[in-house]
Amino acid sequence: MSFLIFFIITLFIAVIQTVIPYLVNRAVVFGVMIPVQFIEDETIKKYRKRYTICVGLLSIVILGIYLGWVFSQERLDNQIALVGVVIEFALILISLSFYLYYHGKTKQLKQQNRWAENLKPMKVTDLSVRKQDEMLPWYAYVLPILSTIGLLIYTLMNYDLLPDPIPTHWGPSGEADAFTAKTPFSAMQLTLLLFTMQFMFLGIHIATKKSGIKLSATALEASRNRQLSLRKYSSWFLYIVLLGITMLMSFLQLMTIHPEIGDGSVKIIIPFGFLLLVLVGTLIFAVKVGRSDKEVGSTVKAQIMDLDEDQYWKGGMFYFNKNDPSIFVEKRFGVGWTLNLANPLGLLIIIVPLIIIILIAFL
Amino acid sequence: MIIRIETESDIPIYTQLTNQIIEGIARGEIVPGDSLPSVRSFAADLGVNMHTVNKSYHELEKKGIINIVPKSGAIIAPTNKMTEEKKQQIVTELKPVVAEALVLGMSQEEVQGLVSSILEDIKMS
Repeated sequence: MSFLIFFIITLFIAVIQTVIPYLVNRAVVFGVMIPVQFIEDETIKKYRKRYTICVGLLSIVILGIYLGWVFSQERLDNQIALVGVVIEFALILISLSFYLYYHGKTKQLKQQNRWAENLKPMKVTDLSVRKQDEMLPWYAYVLPILSTIGLLIYTLMNYDLLPDPIPTHWGPSGEADAFTAKTPFSAMQLTLLLFTMQFMFLGIHIATKKSGIKLSATALEASRNRQLSLRKYSSWFLYIVLLGITMLMSFLQLMTIHPEIGDGSVKIIIPFGFLLLVLVGTLIFAVKVGRSDKEVGSTVKAQIMDLDEDQYWKGGMFYFNKNDPSIFVEKRFGVGWTLNLANPLGLLIIIVPLIIIILIAFL
Repeated sequence: MIIRIETESDIPIYTQLTNQIIEGIARGEIVPGDSLPSVRSFAADLGVNMHTVNKSYHELEKKGIINIVPKSGAIIAPTNKMTEEKKQQIVTELKPVVAEALVLGMSQEEVQGLVSSILEDIKMS
């Protein structure tokens, strides 16, 4: 079981890392902004192809070795898990190194060819774009939050039924494997954790909604499509994942109160189903958003380009722009969002809930 | 309506914003009663400082082109009767430009032709 889980996750990471260059915003190559006029450049195409081939081949080799290692002789579950985690990190590290290498090469290419010169930088927006935004409304979050309040009340009402010690951690097979002494606080621990996560997700949702819808002066329709898809699908995905987390944690809590509901295969199927939901959801999200700006063709007549924001992107990965009131901006390498590190509000939304979660988990 | 800002222009960004919104109203792309985006979301969408948008909105309000209503935001004002005061304001702003055109060598007819063609451009679309 634990091998299957690790193999699927690792395979998933490998596939995503391999195809990223073809899913990112069209105008950004390895974290470097390229004026649309030069986006069809042969060297750029070569860089993309080489990255994908290298990362893809190395992933196959690494996954093959993992497979061989697991089946060459009897392995313990925790051995399989440990090696699995190491391999996942190795894959991420490998793709990161290739990314950084090609980030440098692309930057050089842009400078050598003077692509950004002689083009007039422009910023653009559409006054009506906010009306086309299809993100979920914030009050969708009321439902899972109410259900958590209900769960908390139910737990306190059935305090006597709770076992002593109370389980706090569950292994991949759904069996509890860590316990803590029964106190009113430890009885509520799981629901409080869930509560904090729900508010964190709500905060992320609101912050994303308030963040800028960035349009491109040279590819107005393509960029509009991509930004609106990213906002819509990321808000759905975030919400579905939160519903999944709520159901999973509510199930664990109810199983602690009434052990009989966890009988049979339910306690394996529910966590596994959640994992599958997240992986499949990520894949659909990445493909939907990744393709959203590839289908709309655009021809640039004028000698203009989008404002070159490379200076705000450290390594093409970390965004730091004091003048931009956005909390989240679209990632440059990958599909999704990244924080504007110059905006303290963004750090607050992420760090405060994380601290609370750690405090609850270790108190 | 689409707003386009030239970042390397000598004209400050807030002035470019003001000018384009006024032109948008003149062209009928936005009409009285329409609301402009909030300062925060406008600034976020353009990736500029909130002060820049704020400055432009206040300039528009001073000119009587928008009304800033607390909570509902900036709304395009209905077209009022031309007052003597407003007329004077236009003259003050237009006079130096016309004078400059003459000094730079444009003939009287050319200046008149220019104004007509600008009018036509705005009203045609």
